Amino acid sequence: MIPTPALEIVVLVWGLVLLLAEAFVDKLDKRVFAIAGIVGLVAVLLGSFFLAPPPPAASTGFWSFYTADPLAIFFKRFALATTIFILIMAIDYAPAIRMGVPGANPQAGLGEFFALPIFTCAGLMWMASAIDFVMIFVSLELVTMSFYVLVTFTRRNPATLEAGVKYLILSALSTGFLVYGITWIFGVTGETNLARIGAVLARQDFDHVPLLFGFALVLVALGFKIAAVPFQIWVPDVYQGAPTPVTAFLSVGSKAAGFVVLLRVLGPFSILPQVGKLLVVIAALTLIYGNFAALPQTNLKRLLAYSSIAHAGYLLIGVVCFAGTAVAFYLVGYLLMTLLCFAVVVLVAADGGEQIEDYSGLVRRSPFLAGAMLVGMVSLAGIPFTAGFLGKFFIFDAAIRQGQTLLVVIGVITVGCGFYYYLKVIRAMFWLPPPNDAPVIQISPLSRGAIGLLIAGIFVFGVYPQPILNALNPPAPVAVTAGR
Amino acid sequence: MSPVFFWLASALMLLFGAAVIMNRNPIASALSLVVSFLGLAALFMSLDAFFIGIIQVLVYAGAVMVLFLFIIMLLDLRAEERRKINLVAFAGGVAVAVIFFGQLCLVIGHLRQAKQSFPALPLNHPDDVRSVGLLLFGNYNLPFQIIAVLILVATIGVIVLSKRELR
Repeated sequence: MIPTPALEIVVLVWGLVLLLAEAFVDKLDKRVFAIAGIVGLVAVLLGSFFLAPPPPAASTGFWSFYTADPLAIFFKRFALATTIFILIMAIDYAPAIRMGVPGANPQAGLGEFFALPIFTCAGLMWMASAIDFVMIFVSLELVTMSFYVLVTFTRRNPATLEAGVKYLILSALSTGFLVYGITWIFGVTGETNLARIGAVLARQDFDHVPLLFGFALVLVALGFKIAAVPFQIWVPDVYQGAPTPVTAFLSVGSKAAGFVVLLRVLGPFSILPQVGKLLVVIAALTLIYGNFAALPQTNLKRLLAYSSIAHAGYLLIGVVCFAGTAVAFYLVGYLLMTLLCFAVVVLVAADGGEQIEDYSGLVRRSPFLAGAMLVGMVSLAGIPFTAGFLGKFFIFDAAIRQGQTLLVVIGVITVGCGFYYYLKVIRAMFWLPPPNDAPVIQISPLSRGAIGLLIAGIFVFGVYPQPILNALNPPAPVAVTAGR
Repeated sequence: MSPVFFWLASALMLLFGAAVIMNRNPIASALSLVVSFLGLAALFMSLDAFFIGIIQVLVYAGAVMVLFLFIIMLLDLRAEERRKINLVAFAGGVAVAVIFFGQLCLVIGHLRQAKQSFPALPLNHPDDVRSVGLLLFGNYNLPFQIIAVLILVATIGVIVLSKRELR
């Protein structure tokens, strides 16, 4: 039995070991370090299924900052799985890193590019467990700091530099909002621990306006992380300019962690009536903006950026209804289909471009990749028997139960928009002729396996969602002991 | 603490804080920021938080500002002075600032603590270096350790992003 905090420590130490080893080994192919990172993270992921039960929450010390409840453990696995796929993508992206990083040695910078996501993963895992504003702030900053570096990594490319500067400035601004909001909340309640803030709020003995002000400021910062309208302005440029594996990491890892923190923070604050209304407005705006702005896009990464805003809207519907399980399931579906699409983008962009027209006739150049992209797009659009459909189904189901008719109506209309822009990509791949000189795309066995796994996941969870639903609401422990 | 001291230090802080954004010359802005930090340090001292006051001077007014000045020296100052003010952006920025300030006043008007005076501090001064240390390495040990990881990542990032030629 492994104590839960050991997971992060192992991830962190493994990252340090790889970083150190990379500094002393010159001759080796640096991709070995990515493989080593993947092996280490897979080991931790397996280890996360043999966790010791956590001690009860304490009022001070370690366990007042850190929780090991099912939600935390679920999202730790989520972060680990995301990082594993990101590292696999990063191996395929290595040639582009060589072009984008100034260096005498052709392998310059590769070691850091493979090691930094491991530190980000540790940050995401801490975020999943954070139950105190101090801990939320520190782990969020660890994640953001490593993303500053990763987004700007291929700095010879002007678009990447632009993306890096935009991300740095806007993200720093949003951090400012977060800290300022936390100080207001602390000023009113005298606590940073979410459970104790909840206790103060339950007593109804506080100043409403200053507390709402503080909460709104925190919401601004979290809205930035999850790319909710009107805090989404950075998303299209940063997603388009950043190295593709980093874009995938931002759109899955950073967003999921943002939603976990949002769910945790909403716990105590949900008793304020204004909070629900505010979230409904944000969700509606996000749905409308993300889906309609995606319609005219011609660059696939930019299209996926707007699609990521749109999906934040669907997730926010789940958050408004406090349907934690539905949100978690949607995020798993989102992980599978988004990583699948970005994995294909990395492989196709290696000897093509990122415009949708570069995908013309992809089915002739690589039927496997075209099929993978088809599954990804179909699931993003939400066609039955895919994880994307069931995710939307659970979210809308929760919304109908809560009587959020307006959000359901907007959601259904915007799903219709989604069909148009996702199917545009499918049309290019299957109906348009390929350019004459387009080479056949080579795929490494590792990526082929990863893509196959993602496709399988989309279909398996699209018809059999029980494993994920049970992970968050574990069946009574009595049944487990009785079975032995 | 004498109220005169409080008003003096606050006025100093706000005045030079405004000067930071009003000045066209970046060096003058940076030096105004130093004075603003000194005012803040004086406020901390007057609240008996001597350790934080000293750290404010040493770290912010000292180390961080030297860093700022170094960076400013690497920039092209003339370009900044020649730059014209974009009126629309200026008006927008002022509007946002005014709205935010108004909102802040409103919120403070609703704050109970703002209407009552705080109880006087006990006369026996606590050993604040010791208390800060105990808090950091005791209760707040986990976040403190994560900050160490954060700084490591930042260090790696600076090297990766700033070296002219990576090896």
